[in-house]
Amino acid sequence: MPEPTDIRSGLVCVGLNYKTTPVEVRERLAFPEAQVPAAVEQVRGLPGFEESVVLSTCNRVELYATHGLPSGKDGHAALRQYLIERFELQPEHAEALVLYNLDSAEAARHLFRVVSGLDSMVLGETEIFGQVKAAYKVALDTGTTSRALNKLFQQAFTVGKKVRNETTIQRGSTSVGSVAVDLAEKVHDLKECRVMLVGAGEMSRTCAQSLLSRGAKSIIVSNRSYDKAVELATEMKGRAMKFDEWEHALHEVDVIISSTSAPHFVIKPEQIDQVMRKRRWEPLLIIDIAVPRDVDPAVNNIEGVYLYDIDALQAIADEGRRERLRQLASCERIIEEQLEKYGFLKSPGSGGLKLA
Amino acid sequence: MPASQQLLLAATLIFVGALVQALLALKAGAWKQARAQFFLMALGFALQTGFIYLRGEEVRQCPIKSLPDILVFIAWSIVLLYFLVGPAFRLSLLGVFTAPLVTLMQVMAFANGFAPYKPKGPINALVELHIALALISYAAFALACITGVMYLVQERMLKRHQIGGLFYQLPPIQGLAHAIQRLVRLGLLLLSIALGISFALHLPMTKTGHVVFAWIVWGLYAVISLLMWKHFTSPRKTAWLAVIGFILPFISLWIVTHA
Repeated sequence: MPEPTDIRSGLVCVGLNYKTTPVEVRERLAFPEAQVPAAVEQVRGLPGFEESVVLSTCNRVELYATHGLPSGKDGHAALRQYLIERFELQPEHAEALVLYNLDSAEAARHLFRVVSGLDSMVLGETEIFGQVKAAYKVALDTGTTSRALNKLFQQAFTVGKKVRNETTIQRGSTSVGSVAVDLAEKVHDLKECRVMLVGAGEMSRTCAQSLLSRGAKSIIVSNRSYDKAVELATEMKGRAMKFDEWEHALHEVDVIISSTSAPHFVIKPEQIDQVMRKRRWEPLLIIDIAVPRDVDPAVNNIEGVYLYDIDALQAIADEGRRERLRQLASCERIIEEQLEKYGFLKSPGSGGLKLA
Repeated sequence: MPASQQLLLAATLIFVGALVQALLALKAGAWKQARAQFFLMALGFALQTGFIYLRGEEVRQCPIKSLPDILVFIAWSIVLLYFLVGPAFRLSLLGVFTAPLVTLMQVMAFANGFAPYKPKGPINALVELHIALALISYAAFALACITGVMYLVQERMLKRHQIGGLFYQLPPIQGLAHAIQRLVRLGLLLLSIALGISFALHLPMTKTGHVVFAWIVWGLYAVISLLMWKHFTSPRKTAWLAVIGFILPFISLWIVTHA
């Protein structure tokens, strides 16, 4: 039976993320999903190590482990060496490798921040919560976690939920794509939402993908180059339409995303007025990403039509980011309170948290 | 103060509390379909029910004969429909908009005072059903009015690009527009049944003021419903009709009970 590990001294986290490491290095050090079970076993199998969890996403690679080595530095060094050997880094790359080495309360704080979305590229994003859960489940299923990491990760999930429930860190949109989704959700039931792309620019493609990923029902793509429309429609499992036909389908859609390179207004009030009568006043969201604008601003005066140009979308996204930043202090305070509650801020040996 | 009115006072304070709690949560940006809000509304409803029961015992009949009692009965029906309609139509924040109206109606009831009833002959179940259904239909129109206000608020924020706290909590405007239509139809159906019963009771229309007003209200909402059904007006105008339309049944109650 191993000696009980005090999680405050035996916990380590070694990792890299989008802040420390450029993508060309991160992609070389990422664990393919299928190889994570083997990786957690390899880490747990390192001399002196007892438990392990490997978190590998597009923005971070982190190894969480408990060990019985004399010091945290030994744990960090062993994990660093493991990464170098696992990914067969050349000496010059190994030397240039920048990792953060955290232990005890710092490691727990880091995990709590990661789960809460505070360490994410998009502050407050929620996807990371599921990614950490999945990483923990792999380790749990593989049998490389025991009482210490089980407890730590359960605490982390509790903290993550608490931060999201007690603050508005995840509220608001921080990108043009997510603003488009939020607006569409407040106009229609997204599952019934039919989208039309007029022009196939990169930004409109991003918006359309965001809408589809959140459940939009269908998509029509119309572009001056019909081949490009077909290509994009195929990619998005939608329908392509010739550019001289898109006006006839306006009444069939609930969201129009326009991004043509036309030097004049492509969508005019008189067209939309007709469309609204045909639609029996069902609301219509128009997102105009083009510069110069595709949609006459007077369209917004028509009842049931909600027009947002790129500046309006950007202003909402900026406000969303500012709002999240305003919430940051509250989130950090919750995390500190929880670290205190779970005993991470006490000195080792002062009682509690002896975990086998 | 009789026990029944103590219950009603407590219910009124609870609804005020529900409103304050919701406003504070919204201001702090921490509104999460608050369970506290739902619990407070449920508690207020239980107290309202207690009032109606005790008041019925006091006056030895269904307490829907005087204006204060009618106001409380409609307020009770509004909360009842809120529980039935809110989750079904996924109308988050309906409680926030319902609580002020219910509070206002109960304060008005208190301001009028609860007088004793004249002794009544044998109870005719059909008459009681006729009145109760008519009042519940008014509650449906009241909820259509509240939903109309929600629509107009959300519509204004969308038009003016005011994407703030309340925006994220209110339902999609398309859903609100459909909810208004369904509530108007529900109210119209209930009122139609109530008026159908009045035929069965052979109530002479010219001698019963409340039936005349009920027919006027029915006519108004039939027109509103037709406009909605045939899409003659935009959802925004429909929402305005639902909001303004409720003024008529509200005033008619006043006139009928004071005539």
